Amino acid sequence: MPDTVALPPRSRPFDVRYMPGFTSMAWLCLIGLYAPLLIMAFFSFNESRSVTTFTDFSFRWYQIAADNAGVKDATILSLKLAALSTVFATIAATMAGLATTRTRSFKGQAFVFAVINQPLMIPEIVTAVGTLTFFGIIKQVTGIQSFGFLVLAHTVFCIPFAYMPIRARLEDMDLTFEHVAADLYASPWKAFRYVTFPMMLPGIIAGAMLAFVISLDDVIISLLVAGAGETTLPVWMIGQLRRGLTPEVNAISTVLLGVTIIFVSFFFFLTFRKRK
Amino acid sequence: MRLTSLIAAGVGLVFAAGQATAGELHFYNWGNYTDPKVLEKFTAETGIDITLDGYDSNDMMLAKVKAGGSGYDLAVPSGFMVKIMTDEGLIQKAGVNQMANFKNVEDQWVDVYFDPGREYSVPWQWGSTGISLNTKYYDGPKSDSWALVFDPPEELKNRINMVSEMSDVIAAGLFYLGLPQCNGNKADLKKLNDMLQSAKEDWRTIDYGIVEKMTSEDVYASHNWNGASMRARRVIPEIKYIYPKEGLNAWMDNVVLLSDAKNVDEAKVFMNFLMAPENAGMISSFAGYANAIKGSAEFMNPDMAEAPEIVGYEGAGKPEFIPPCTQEVQAMYTKIWNNLLK
Repeated sequence: MPDTVALPPRSRPFDVRYMPGFTSMAWLCLIGLYAPLLIMAFFSFNESRSVTTFTDFSFRWYQIAADNAGVKDATILSLKLAALSTVFATIAATMAGLATTRTRSFKGQAFVFAVINQPLMIPEIVTAVGTLTFFGIIKQVTGIQSFGFLVLAHTVFCIPFAYMPIRARLEDMDLTFEHVAADLYASPWKAFRYVTFPMMLPGIIAGAMLAFVISLDDVIISLLVAGAGETTLPVWMIGQLRRGLTPEVNAISTVLLGVTIIFVSFFFFLTFRKRK
Repeated sequence: MRLTSLIAAGVGLVFAAGQATAGELHFYNWGNYTDPKVLEKFTAETGIDITLDGYDSNDMMLAKVKAGGSGYDLAVPSGFMVKIMTDEGLIQKAGVNQMANFKNVEDQWVDVYFDPGREYSVPWQWGSTGISLNTKYYDGPKSDSWALVFDPPEELKNRINMVSEMSDVIAAGLFYLGLPQCNGNKADLKKLNDMLQSAKEDWRTIDYGIVEKMTSEDVYASHNWNGASMRARRVIPEIKYIYPKEGLNAWMDNVVLLSDAKNVDEAKVFMNFLMAPENAGMISSFAGYANAIKGSAEFMNPDMAEAPEIVGYEGAGKPEFIPPCTQEVQAMYTKIWNNLLK
């Protein structure tokens, strides 16, 4: 008969949530992260020009921002850019996800992951400067000036953000369904279209939303790579720095924050709804 | 195969959408520095479409222009940056002094150290860096001198802000001590360092956001740019802008034609347009700084046309440009500045 080892008695399994100081540390982190955002949103409703002293409640700065032609153009451009980059990035990420999951390990698999996730690992300023120089050479040689360059730059760094949720969803899916489809004489394309694709749709939508938000909020790459007439909203905001910030910037930031929160919330619901 | 060509066509479309067409111009200026109405007026008068993008520093603009293929035709560097860009071949001669409206440029601004005779640049706006004083709290004998911030009276102690720019603060210090600018003399610099260190005890902050600090009365006096001081005066009328009698630093932003500009003719039309008094007046009214064009005062907002911050006053100190100093002098300045910020 095998020996059973006597384990020391435990009142409950180890859980970091019950460690001393956890609650206070968690609160500290939450406050440190979110207090600045709450204060910024609070001052966007300020009546006076100041970003430090609150006088009266007013929607004045939202109205000014809405009437500002520079803000309107920048917002439309940001949305266009985010939409295009999301479409291209999600398509690429879907293909990448299908190719790299649920297969036997192949040679160079780690390298493939590194390449796909490269924008996450390399500091954004490095990517931005490299892209600026690279596109600069191309623009000088070919003489082409186009919005496509900025879209390309955004697509590339949005791919890993779209890839992650798609891959997670695929890993959760059984290959059984595809095998069944094959048994029933479905071609690979039909199997994809009627079986795999609908099942991975929550992952694809989650990936698309994440990519959209990331593209919308991007600063450094947009700042350096944007050409003439391609000012995105964050780039516009930075351009105002030298000449003094007014609560108009707070108003725009609050709206941007609100949009981001909505998207990320949907993302959260889509990915954590039910796990197989 | 069909999918690949579809994707290629889609990508091609996105790229093709942005090709340059005749009658357009791409302007790169400081953020929030250009009146949109001026651009609309230009398009209405000439039919040339003009796009505007904003930057927040000379360095950012330089980085993008240097990388090549930026797509911009015109940029607006500060004086010292014009010299740098000329030396690096980033801007080309636009023949400004041959243009029709050149006769409107004020004589004192024609031969500037960074562009003698105005071959390359059109003046956009200029300003000075003096002192904003809230006269509610002090209006005594030191009010015409740098002593306000370097040897302050009792009422202003611990209520002073300095701008967070090394070149401006050091220039002010050298003016106060009556020492030459771009000074590499070790003895002089030691005097400067000691003076700054002891003055620092009475300072509250070395920071931007000066209009907010003055209007919230967090500080009663500040090293400041004249346009910002005018904006502060609109909130608190007792705020006076001082041109210190020992002399003060002036800066000027100028419109230049980039070497790789695609729309050279349209750019020259715009540069000429900027030298007309009515347009210069509009530009000044928007940003709140003086321009270098004769006769523009009647086109500015009336309160600005007579504002002492912009036009000066009896007994004001004389603003002067300070050309950039050599590398070794800059290195010494940097040591003093880092010492100050500790």
